[in-house]
Amino acid sequence: MTRRLVESREILSSRILAIDDEEANIALLRNVLEREGYTEIECLTDPRDALATYIDFAPDLVLLDLMMPEVDGFELLEAFGRHDSADEFRPVLVLTADTTIQARRKALALGAKDFVSKPFDVIEVGLRISNLLETRILYQRLRER
Amino acid sequence: MQQQPVKPSLRFWADRPLTFKGLVVIALPLAVLLGSLVSLYLASDAESRAEDDVRRAFAIQRDTYQVHALLAEAAAGVRGYVLTREDRFLEPYRRAEADLPATMERLDIAIEDQVVRGHFEDLRLVVAQKREGLRSTIELAEGSAAIGPQEVERSFAANKQELDAVRSEIEDVQRTEAIVLERRQRLVDEVRTGFLRLTAVSAAIGLLGSIIGVYLFSTGIVRRVSRLEDNAGKLARGERLIDLPEEADEIGRLAQRLGRASALLRAREDDLRESEERFRLVIERVRDYGIFTLDKQGTVTSWNLGAERIKGWHADEILGQHFSRFYPEETRDYLPAEMLERAREEGAAEDEGWRVRKDGSRFWANVVITALRDEGGELQGFAKVTRDMSERRRSEEALRLAREEAVAANRAKSDFLSRTSHELRTPLNAILGFGQLLEIAEEEFEHPHREAIGQIAKAGRHLLSLINDLLDISSIEAGATELEIEPIDVAPFLEDMHALAAPIVSSAGLKFDLDQSQEPLTIYADRRRATQVILNLIGNAAKYNRTGKRVRLSADAEGDLVRFVVEDDGPGIAEADVPRLFTAFDRLGQQDRARVEGTGLGLALSKSLAESMGGDLRYEPANPGARFCFTLSRVLREAQVTSAGDAEMAK
Repeated sequence: MTRRLVESREILSSRILAIDDEEANIALLRNVLEREGYTEIECLTDPRDALATYIDFAPDLVLLDLMMPEVDGFELLEAFGRHDSADEFRPVLVLTADTTIQARRKALALGAKDFVSKPFDVIEVGLRISNLLETRILYQRLRER
Repeated sequence: MQQQPVKPSLRFWADRPLTFKGLVVIALPLAVLLGSLVSLYLASDAESRAEDDVRRAFAIQRDTYQVHALLAEAAAGVRGYVLTREDRFLEPYRRAEADLPATMERLDIAIEDQVVRGHFEDLRLVVAQKREGLRSTIELAEGSAAIGPQEVERSFAANKQELDAVRSEIEDVQRTEAIVLERRQRLVDEVRTGFLRLTAVSAAIGLLGSIIGVYLFSTGIVRRVSRLEDNAGKLARGERLIDLPEEADEIGRLAQRLGRASALLRAREDDLRESEERFRLVIERVRDYGIFTLDKQGTVTSWNLGAERIKGWHADEILGQHFSRFYPEETRDYLPAEMLERAREEGAAEDEGWRVRKDGSRFWANVVITALRDEGGELQGFAKVTRDMSERRRSEEALRLAREEAVAANRAKSDFLSRTSHELRTPLNAILGFGQLLEIAEEEFEHPHREAIGQIAKAGRHLLSLINDLLDISSIEAGATELEIEPIDVAPFLEDMHALAAPIVSSAGLKFDLDQSQEPLTIYADRRRATQVILNLIGNAAKYNRTGKRVRLSADAEGDLVRFVVEDDGPGIAEADVPRLFTAFDRLGQQDRARVEGTGLGLALSKSLAESMGGDLRYEPANPGARFCFTLSRVLREAQVTSAGDAEMAK
């Protein structure tokens, strides 16, 4: 089992927002997350609602698709960045079928904390999610002190 | 210039230098004059000799008279002595005895003429007798105290007789001497007149000769010089020269040089004329440029074929017309004048814009007007070169559109590929993701379902690698792949390849050899793509070498390429299959398909990659086994830069 600085209970109680216009992918993500034991999961297939949900739901982690109709992932990354205060650490994991280096660079430059190409390995994605959440929890503890 | 021939007899004279000719011309009459002087001298010499003769003749006459006088006086004295016995009467006799021998001696020397000498010998005898007679008379008178008158008379008579004989002899001598004298004097006169005539004639000849000589010589020179001058004038006017006789003196040489200068000038003129003619023909026949000239006011003065072709007017129709009619109405009022003004001030004026043809249609023209000035800077007119740019303008426009279209098409292709990639991956994500989840939870399922789940996951992964390879090939072939060409040192690169592929090769139970090149090599390639190709080749070698023992990787220089070779000692590839090796989806050894995983796109993709980097991928049969040669460039190529640039632009 992975060695953690934070109890897995605390990680699994984190709030996760998944945004993908593809129903099947949302279903897959929900499946993966539930299998891991996460309980606070919010899924969106319409990116136009993303910012409102981001604000209302206040997730600890966002799983974000890039190529979506109406509003794409890059715009959302910018919007999230604008919304969060400077000392906020709310990681975004980009999951996209766009494999180009340009997309990868742009997403990371806009504040995404990690980037995984689709189709992805479900175990790898699960590990990356828990790693990011662990970092966030540690950061918040640091900030509260 | 053709030289006139000179008569062979005159050749020597003609070829002498002018100084020599001048000397000769002056010297010849002088020599004649000198000759006449010599003859004058000779004449005077002869004359003086003749005069000497005359003088001598006179001396002979004088001496003979003296002989006669001495004897006559002596005789007279002796007579007186005989009559008087006075001694003083003997004085003349004694004087005669003293003087006569000397006088006779003088005569003997002086007389040359033979006749005179004959007479002189007679005279000498007679004189001796006379002297004897006189002495005997004196002795007689001294011996006898008195001489009788008869005896005296007789003695006197004898004396007189002797004296007469002397006189007669003297007369003879004098007469003959006078004849000689006269002859000599006549001779002297003849000689003198002869020489005088000769002198006069030779002086006249010398004078005349020198006048004629100098006249001929100078008129000859003057004539030749004036002909030369004529020729020089002709040379200056560019006319043909008169032929002059070929002579080797200064004038002749000058004439020859003039002739050569003329020939040279003529040759140059011919060359110039020829090149001018050529140039004129070229200008006249140039079809793509309208070249014509204008006078100072802008009236057309010449017209070439190109102008006719571009503007539609024939030369006859446009010569003498003002060039403003080539301009469309809206610019006609100011632009032509402005162009001429600018050309006048700046030397040339260029403009690009609409012009009209004879039929009124317009064309887009590039026009250069150049001011033509003479050597003194005086404006002579203008040269105008017009080019019909309509075609170029159209083709430039077309080219620009084509380029834009190509860029757009490229971008569209690129967009399409990345969208396709995205669209294919998105559903595959769900399939593979759920497949994986099911595999993880396989213990929850019964055996047949587990089998099905495994098949779904495997097929899904195969589909994913197909999609990856296919998109790669399409992207390369569409030129949408961005290559990152960089210099790569071959030796460390091969080490990396060897290390990366070693697990694949050893897991197939094969030995993996690496042969480095002797010399350090550098290639220009996209590292990731080159790696992809080499790993694909090694992977194939490991997969298909079921019978052999080894896989070998090597690199060598081949001109400006580096040749990477991947070979194995397996069964090789059947000759019939070789042509299909690099065809997509044409997997060889279909019967082995179940055992060998692959998409059937590997070699096609590798070949596309090799070519996109300016290299190549070839198959060569090895005995035993298969050999794949993958070449990459050692120099940075334009195509690579361009393809990289295109990729950048497409992005």
